[in-house]
Amino acid sequence: MPYHKKLIRMLLLPALLVLLSTGFAVISIYRNGSFAARTSLVSTGTSVSTGASQAGAEKSNTVSIPKSLIPEGHILFIENCSSCHTNTGEGSYRGPNLVGLGAATVDFWVSTGRMPLSQPGIEAVQKPSRLTRQQTLAIVAYVTSLGKGGPPIPKVNLKHANVSEGQTLFALNCASCHTITGSGDALSNRSFSSSLHIASPTQIAEALRIGPGNMPRFGPRTLNHKEVEDIAAYVTRFIQHPNNAGGVGLGGVGPVAEGFIALLIGLGGLMLVSFWIGDRQEKEESRDGH
Amino acid sequence: MDTKENGENINAVSKAGNLSAGNNSHNLANHTCEGCGRSDLAEQERRRLRALEVVAQLSVIGALLCFIGVGVTYWVGGQNQFLGGFLAAGLALLGIGVIVIGKYFMPQGPFVEQRHEISSTVQQKQLFEEALVERGGSAFKRRKFLGVLMGASATMFGITFAFPWIRSLGPLPGKTLFQTWWRPGSRVVTVHGRPVKVDDLEVGGILTVFPEGHAGSSMSQTILIRAASLPITTRKGRETWSPHGYLGFSKICTHAGCPVGLYEEQSQQLLCPCHQSIFDVLDGAVPVFGPAPRPLPQLPLGVDEEGYLRARSDFLEPVGPGFWERTTA
Repeated sequence: MPYHKKLIRMLLLPALLVLLSTGFAVISIYRNGSFAARTSLVSTGTSVSTGASQAGAEKSNTVSIPKSLIPEGHILFIENCSSCHTNTGEGSYRGPNLVGLGAATVDFWVSTGRMPLSQPGIEAVQKPSRLTRQQTLAIVAYVTSLGKGGPPIPKVNLKHANVSEGQTLFALNCASCHTITGSGDALSNRSFSSSLHIASPTQIAEALRIGPGNMPRFGPRTLNHKEVEDIAAYVTRFIQHPNNAGGVGLGGVGPVAEGFIALLIGLGGLMLVSFWIGDRQEKEESRDGH
Repeated sequence: MDTKENGENINAVSKAGNLSAGNNSHNLANHTCEGCGRSDLAEQERRRLRALEVVAQLSVIGALLCFIGVGVTYWVGGQNQFLGGFLAAGLALLGIGVIVIGKYFMPQGPFVEQRHEISSTVQQKQLFEEALVERGGSAFKRRKFLGVLMGASATMFGITFAFPWIRSLGPLPGKTLFQTWWRPGSRVVTVHGRPVKVDDLEVGGILTVFPEGHAGSSMSQTILIRAASLPITTRKGRETWSPHGYLGFSKICTHAGCPVGLYEEQSQQLLCPCHQSIFDVLDGAVPVFGPAPRPLPQLPLGVDEEGYLRARSDFLEPVGPGFWERTTA
């Protein structure tokens, strides 16, 4: 019976809609539900990473690195860094001088996986670090033992951070380049601002203090330690776990992705429906014709 | 028993026939002519219509339930996806119901409705003209005062509405296009109104600043860059404008007025996010790429005895995009 087929076809559209919206609902409920769990994971992750080197740094807001790590760091430096920065860290035509750049600089570049560099280019690309946290700190210990200077690794504690204040500061200082959703964007001359979706609180604080690459530097007199913690809290709690009212954020990259979905699914769906509404006319015409 | 059932069947057929007046019955007749079994076709058509009726009923009931679902979801707290899902499904089902009824149960055309003559007859026209002259013309001839009053009220209407219309054009710009709130000796403050000291920014740091007392003023917003620790001469005649390497530039792009806030420290360039104009910071923010026609105006800066940054004067040229009254290039 062709009517049965027609019946099924007619009910297909609402069924599809119900299915789609249920899917979106499940996704968004899952995301919102796991929000609390994830933020707690983030904060425990921070306490672990700073806990490794907590000795003697209770008073100040910086992480101190035990000198006992220097020998291990020396070996790792020769293995991973010396081909460009030379054995003494003074740099060559391949890589810049590292002496006096400070602990935060070395920790940022190594812990974000930008160093060791995989290939030369306009921007050092962020990738999973090959080194463990202790190995990274060992390299930091070795490089800082070569010469004094530069900002230390900030100790970030998000327990009392103000996410709302962080948002204000982020919008004022960071959003112009990293965009308000933190997805990063193109700059001039093939350089780009990086995505903030995989940055840890410590890395955010380090980046603010050292201004890696094209990024401006935000010293303690521009943004104090509390303000840095607020920004780190906003990025890790909100930018990395956005509350997408529509269920899916589409990467937060603006009208291109959203317009694509609207045109493909929205307009495409409407076209299918209008084909269905109009299809009887055609059949009748052909039936009358023969 | 048999006859009764037959009778019911016949009733149903005629009902269906009534419902599908027009094309459907026409089709039925066509098929019969082709010599197929008459009762078979009738039975088929009857079942088809009943099925469609059920579809329409189910759709509309479904839509009703979905709209109740919208209400309930809204009442219990309004989870976005459920709200949207119910609304979409409800509207889709309602649409399907309407379409099914329209396609299968409404009489199908083509229908012809004769249109009456649009123009009036000669007689009607004459009558109208007579009436107009008699009632209107004589009224104003006899009651001149009424005509004057009428004219006065219409004029008043025009005058009264001219004011909000002119007012809606906004205030006259006056001097605001040519000058900002920066004055000789204005202290440089942050958006929160905190004065900026000479060692507040590290080399490679930036800050959006305003003249004291006008924090947040959009025309006066200035991007403060510390490009070095020593004074920089960006242009001839600007030797004293950048104490301790502090450079101040208007943050309003000279192209379309966007905030030029993207400072690239390595290449010492300012990038406008709207149309990718690039300004060379060390060369007085002269545009090196993009549609911006002029350099960003530079703010002459100085340091007082207490170490606070102060403006030496206002910008020496109008900030922001060009406008008609602008005389300097």
